[in-house]
Amino acid sequence: MIHTFIKRRRFEWINRQEIIIFILLVVVVVFLSLSTNTFLTANNLQNVSRNFAWITIPAFGESLVIIIGGIDLSVGAVMALSGLITALALRFGLPIPLALVAGLLAGSIVGWINGTLVGRVRFPPFIVTLGTASIVRGIIFGLAEGWPIRDLPLDFRYLGQADVHVGPLAIPVPLLITIILAVLVYVILSKTVLGRYIYSLGDNEQALIVTGVGLPRLKTIVYTLCGALTAVGGILMTARLGVAAPTAATGYELNIIAAVIIGGTSLFGGEGSALGVLLGAAFMQILLNGLVLLGLPAYWQSATLGSMIFLGLLLDLWRQNRTAS
Amino acid sequence: MKCGRAFFLVFLCILVACQTAPGQPPQKPAPSGTTRRKITIAWIPKGLNNPVFEVGRSGAIAKAAELSAAGPVDVEVLYAGSVDSDGSEQARVIDDTVAKGVNGIAISCDDPTACIDPINRAFNAGIPVMTWDADSPLSKRFTFMGLDNIKAGHAGANMLVQAMGTSGKVAILTGVPGADNLEERIRGFKEGLANYPNIQVIATVVTNDDINLGVQAVEDTMQAHPDIKGWYFAGMWPLFADRGSMPLWEDAALHRGMKTIAFDALPVELELLRDGYLSGLLDQKNWFWGYEAVQILYDHIVNQKTYPYFVDLGYNIITKNNVDAMLQAWDTNDFTKPLPPP
Repeated sequence: MIHTFIKRRRFEWINRQEIIIFILLVVVVVFLSLSTNTFLTANNLQNVSRNFAWITIPAFGESLVIIIGGIDLSVGAVMALSGLITALALRFGLPIPLALVAGLLAGSIVGWINGTLVGRVRFPPFIVTLGTASIVRGIIFGLAEGWPIRDLPLDFRYLGQADVHVGPLAIPVPLLITIILAVLVYVILSKTVLGRYIYSLGDNEQALIVTGVGLPRLKTIVYTLCGALTAVGGILMTARLGVAAPTAATGYELNIIAAVIIGGTSLFGGEGSALGVLLGAAFMQILLNGLVLLGLPAYWQSATLGSMIFLGLLLDLWRQNRTAS
Repeated sequence: MKCGRAFFLVFLCILVACQTAPGQPPQKPAPSGTTRRKITIAWIPKGLNNPVFEVGRSGAIAKAAELSAAGPVDVEVLYAGSVDSDGSEQARVIDDTVAKGVNGIAISCDDPTACIDPINRAFNAGIPVMTWDADSPLSKRFTFMGLDNIKAGHAGANMLVQAMGTSGKVAILTGVPGADNLEERIRGFKEGLANYPNIQVIATVVTNDDINLGVQAVEDTMQAHPDIKGWYFAGMWPLFADRGSMPLWEDAALHRGMKTIAFDALPVELELLRDGYLSGLLDQKNWFWGYEAVQILYDHIVNQKTYPYFVDLGYNIITKNNVDAMLQAWDTNDFTKPLPPP
């Protein structure tokens, strides 16, 4: 019963929110293509697609958390931590695969702690993740002693800087990883029991309790997944820049949550998809890129980002009202 | 449930512990059989999140060791600060150092107004306070040592004009919009360009003090204005990223004669200058923030020396002509030797 209800709601949602964002995206792309001669160039599109990877991948994780009715404010700090741990591991001479595992593990552990405190100890996610963000930043500054870690191996930097050539197209590696992870998150949400439970948890927690599903475990899994996906974003950003700075990704939680909301994930829980997040992040990144290309003062970027969050919230509210009526 | 509470308590303890990261003052044992006077100087940066303050800390520790070895008084440096640059957190740190009973405080104020009350409380407790890098002019600090940012901005403009010529498009890169020192650097730079009507400032882009955003801002601007002839970086944010991160900027710098002037002179920037990516650097003498501040406080406390309202620390101009000398200063951690002319 629950399953059928959720399926129906997801189907309706796909027909509305993703299409709305897709249309907005097309409008912005057409406008920028006509009003600048620099937007629709291979170089610029590559830059945009490369840069949006480390917002989109953590946004996949954040969307899972928001779908179950939670929130994770530690994503910026986790991005910095995973990048730093990977860089430190490389500095200690660990092979690249092991260093990547270390970075992933660091993010997953923070996610697991968040999930345990929210799921088992039943603390509010807002406070828990704010607390872990503060702890993680403290650990980062302690480990780095204020200095960025540089001179990372070239092979590692390829992960963030190299392109894969498919015919005439040069696809940035981070974009490729984003697409692979988008498919993975889509499969988890749409084709697995875990995905059904995730939607059910956000939609009607009481109904799920009746079915006997272990909620604490489920929440722990979701927050751990969010930590792991966020770690991927942090590692890719570090590889792109070739530096792991203790201040990296400060305030990125706002951009990540914005991408999730614009992409149609409901703050009320129970709704959202990988495709929506992908479109939301692309819309946000292209708009920010467009501001620079159009020569608008950069001082207004923050206001633009805030306005986009409001746009996402209004769309969400409108959707909720329509569903209710 | 008990387990949950224990977990919560541990969590809170770690949270509190992570809020402030006190420094590690160097300990110099008193020679056996003698009692030497010891003074403790609290050296407080805006935040622990900026590596330039680590450079200043190193200078403070070097001066303390020098003074302790040469004079009758042992000097100890207490490096204290909040992780993030935050006015209220910094006020708490000042109060903590007063409570600890330090003999003097040297502080870079996160916010000039937020600093007034805690500085005045320290003054009323008999602790002399000086400001460095960022001032709180309405407080009871006895002097401010730092850079005249407007003058440095003029110098930046002159350096860029010398490098790129008297016409063309230039762009400005800044950190957090509205920060006093950065706005002054930009104002000075624009004033310096006022005599060159054929130079156009086509964009001012922000980094929010973030390396990644800095890289994106520079590359987006290069994309929008491929014919750009000069950049003025009011800070060094994107230069922390490794080579290959800003392909458009790097290509323009190496192959199309584009020039960049940047603030600070950290090793990563010196290497970029040596390799032809940068044309000049404005070194605001980060190491001397600590080195000179400790000397000023020492003289004020021990020798009752008075200081003017503003002590101009000045700046070094680094070009290809003196970059090697500056790199050597980093290698030896000794910035006291005069640099060759730029």
